Amino acid sequence: MEMRDKLRKWREDNHRNSEQIVDVGEELINEHASKLGDDIWIIYEQVMIAALDCSRDDLAWTCLQELKRQFPGSQRVKRLAGMRLEALEKYEDASKQYDSILQDDPTNTAARKRKISILKAQGKSAEAIRELNEYLEQFVGDQEAWHELSELYINEHDYGKAAFCLEELMMTNPHNHLYCEQYAEVKYTQGGLENLELSRKYFAQALKLNNRNMRALFGLYMSASHIAASPKVNATVKKANVKYATWATNQINRAYQLAGRGTKENKCSVKAVEEMLESITMS
Amino acid sequence: MAEPELLLDSNIRLWVVLPIVFITFLVGVIRHYVSILLQSDKKLTLEQVSDSQVLIRSRILRENGKYIPKQSFLMRKFYFNNQEDGFFKNTKRKVVPPSPMTDPSMLTDMMKGNVTNVLPMILIGGWINWTFSGFVTTKVPFPLTLRFKPMLQQGIELLSLDASWVSSASWYFLNVFGLRSMYSLILGQDNGADQSRIMQEQMSGAAMAMPADTNKAFKAEWEALELTDHQWALENIEEELMSRELDLDGMFNSKH
Repeated sequence: MEMRDKLRKWREDNHRNSEQIVDVGEELINEHASKLGDDIWIIYEQVMIAALDCSRDDLAWTCLQELKRQFPGSQRVKRLAGMRLEALEKYEDASKQYDSILQDDPTNTAARKRKISILKAQGKSAEAIRELNEYLEQFVGDQEAWHELSELYINEHDYGKAAFCLEELMMTNPHNHLYCEQYAEVKYTQGGLENLELSRKYFAQALKLNNRNMRALFGLYMSASHIAASPKVNATVKKANVKYATWATNQINRAYQLAGRGTKENKCSVKAVEEMLESITMS
Repeated sequence: MAEPELLLDSNIRLWVVLPIVFITFLVGVIRHYVSILLQSDKKLTLEQVSDSQVLIRSRILRENGKYIPKQSFLMRKFYFNNQEDGFFKNTKRKVVPPSPMTDPSMLTDMMKGNVTNVLPMILIGGWINWTFSGFVTTKVPFPLTLRFKPMLQQGIELLSLDASWVSSASWYFLNVFGLRSMYSLILGQDNGADQSRIMQEQMSGAAMAMPADTNKAFKAEWEALELTDHQWALENIEEELMSRELDLDGMFNSKH
């Protein structure tokens, strides 16, 4: 039953490859339902969410019916019903559905988060931000929510608040280089000497956590050269930053050389990178 | 004292020792499943969830604060600990310690716990005592004083018998405690058959009132946070990073 194992692996890793899940899951449900035993319910849930992603409403409806039959009063099933209404763009009904779940159980985080995503889908980002803030006041530990909030703020160009959210994420996941890198990018976008310094440091941290993060390497180069070029810095700072920038350049060159190891296309791209770097460098 | 070694009938081993182990184990497993069936749902209030998460956040701030800039750390510390409107200073939760007598749900929980655990133990202990009485079951490997005799040699009326020889009832009790580790092996941690843990909980439960903990927990966090200082981990990061070349191994191999 390697199909079942595949589905389980995707479920545990939180993969969102909905088309594959729908293919595998549909076959599994139609042909091997009896052999699955109790696993079938969780497979129904997984396939239903994937079907909603692929607009396969027929499949989603069958899964939902089966689940409703088996678990009539369940909160989890109600949430799935709400998600289906969302997929059909019946946002009012979906919202009412989630409200009824919350009446029964005010600590149900899933329903709250779906309500916020309805607002986001309707484009009401200001309201979504407000609701998400309220949600986070209650549930300070929800990392998914912090990340979502930082994205919303970046879209609204409110970089200060986005930085705050990313700081929360960095604290809870100190070894995740991606959060460091996103934080550094936000600081770089904010601009200003202090923020550029901070961004340089965080790009360096991201690189330290993961030596192969090319974005962070380029970011390091950009922030260091920016600081070096700024008229307000004194000579020592400038020298230090030029040193950082040249180091970054060397690493970038090394990386690009490793990339192709002498193939013809690669020689061109290496040259292109060198020229680009020279053009950005201001001495 | 030197005494002739008693040779026990091997039938005893077969028909007494092993059945008692068996019975104890099965009763334990049954107890576990019964306790699962009888378990009442614990409903958490929104406030409790929220509070527990806030405590976690504050702890993370203390532990990992060194990864965020000094400004941000101070901002958060200020938010929590400020004299006038810091979170930990100001939030007082209404505390009603649920005394076992007044809070009905806790009362039923306690009763269920007692019934499930103590009653079977008494019943089966008595039954074993009655069934397997009149003979010596086993010998404990260490010498005991005479004071233990009436306790451990329930059905045996021999004054000269060394107190190390015990009856079946004591073997039963030995099993009850000894099979604890077997239960955690087979039923997983936190199982309902683990009696000694439950007894421990009952003893300490009387001294501990959960909701009052929140206020105390807040106070403890406040103190701990006051004491933490911000040591920025990124102080010399560029130097550390550039002291050696980046490790770019395997970056461009074909993936998946």
